[in-house]
Amino acid sequence: MTAIEVLSGQLRERIAGNRTGARPAIWKRFLLSIAVPAGAFLLWQAAVSFGLSSGRLVPPPSRIIAALWQLAGNGELYRHVASTCLRVLFGFLAGAAAGVVVGTLTGFFTTARALVDPSLQALRAIPSIAWVPLFILWFGIFETSKVMLIATGVFFPVYLGLSTALLSVDRKIVEVGRIFRLSGLELARRILFPAVLPALIVALRAGLGLGWMFVVAAEFMGASEGLGYLLVDGQQLGKPDQIVAAIIIFAIIGKLSDGLIVSISAPLVAWQDNYKKGGT
Amino acid sequence: MLSVEGLSKTYQNGVVALQGFSLEVHPGEIVAVIGGSGCGKSTLLRLISGLDQPTAGKIAINGEAVRAPHQLINLIFQEPRLLPWLTVGENIRFGLSHLGRRERDERATAALDQVHLAGYENSLPKELSGGQAQRAAIARALVTQPEVLLLDEPFSALDALTRSALQNHLVGIWRQTHSTMIIVTHDIEEAVALAHRVIVMQPSPGRIMEEIAINLPMPREVSGQAVDRYKKKVRASLNRSLSKSGTVMRDAEVISIVEDIA
Repeated sequence: MTAIEVLSGQLRERIAGNRTGARPAIWKRFLLSIAVPAGAFLLWQAAVSFGLSSGRLVPPPSRIIAALWQLAGNGELYRHVASTCLRVLFGFLAGAAAGVVVGTLTGFFTTARALVDPSLQALRAIPSIAWVPLFILWFGIFETSKVMLIATGVFFPVYLGLSTALLSVDRKIVEVGRIFRLSGLELARRILFPAVLPALIVALRAGLGLGWMFVVAAEFMGASEGLGYLLVDGQQLGKPDQIVAAIIIFAIIGKLSDGLIVSISAPLVAWQDNYKKGGT
Repeated sequence: MLSVEGLSKTYQNGVVALQGFSLEVHPGEIVAVIGGSGCGKSTLLRLISGLDQPTAGKIAINGEAVRAPHQLINLIFQEPRLLPWLTVGENIRFGLSHLGRRERDERATAALDQVHLAGYENSLPKELSGGQAQRAAIARALVTQPEVLLLDEPFSALDALTRSALQNHLVGIWRQTHSTMIIVTHDIEEAVALAHRVIVMQPSPGRIMEEIAINLPMPREVSGQAVDRYKKKVRASLNRSLSKSGTVMRDAEVISIVEDIA
């Protein structure tokens, strides 16, 4: 056996070792993350199965799974999920874009901040549901009003996060840009935006979370499809299993979409010197 | 070369950091500025670098007025201030975006060699030690080939061993480039080891107390009769400066100077 063969064999073993070493960590994290809901479900299922509760208003997991299975079987589930996801996607894109533009302007320009920030801070305190009647009057009952409501929800955390982050960029690194005589635009592109990127990602995650909350309010506005519609339908027809099923789907999609932002943005902020990597 | 004439700086809170400061620095000369806390040393560098504007007075390089950061002047800060999202190589190329890629890479490679950081080009700043990060900051300033290099207590945050190594590096770099340097320090040994001329400053308001020419060849010995004589001279001058000012010695910088004098 040549030296190269021995070395390549050792390398293969190390790579294989690393792979098998990584797997238990991922599985362990996954199992830990579902331990609490799975435990709660099992306990509740046992309580209903042993007759300790009727499970009429709070259905056991078996009935929720049956409801989901039925909805999935006739294709209803996909239609409702797709409809909600599209509304959140468009609302998120519109709200995040507006938040980035206004947040950038107020972060850079004192006059812009003095002009619009007090009003936006006041508007931020308005509950989502308060906008519903106004948005129906302005944008009608169909998709525009729903997307606008979601965009409103997404806008505020993105605006606030970016604007605040821009104002708190360390003067010392801005001076590095000044010493190298960067123009205003170059300073923004090469120093300010990279510096605020971690804060912007957190703001986008917060905005997306609010987007999922606002979509429920939006789908209460006379929607004929969507997970919010399933909630209203379940309440009107007395189907708590459908309501809980819709809530669980919201939780799963919300977590997946947040995970997507984290995964996409992770390489962009890998430079951060964090105390602990891996927390999402 | 670099001319500073009647420079004054009064901050918005009324503090007069610098008053009537004048200085002529010749090409290839290393000038050390030393003094107690609040004597306007850092303010002086910020004004010369164009980061701050003087209340009165003029700064000129090769006869051209300096009113903002100038391409022939670069500043090395007390802390490395590397941009954490860029690799060491990208940090060093940061000020070269006006050049072609090939020249950028050539200059960066040469600068990395110069500060003994070859092989660290793709490392992130968080992966460097304090001394390595400060060397990367020196390389970032050197690649722009400034005629005047300003150094604001660049080694003060480092341990004695690293500080001594980096002082030697700096002398080595000066011997290659013959850049003009103004180094602000509160370390008498550093001032005597590096400078052709030491300017002792007096606080409240900041002004020149005394100029001491160090007529010793480079590189210099750490100790020895001649070096020790200059150290004593600078110490004595600094002592006079502090006693004249009547400064209450509370902060670490002044305490370190007092210990040095003692």
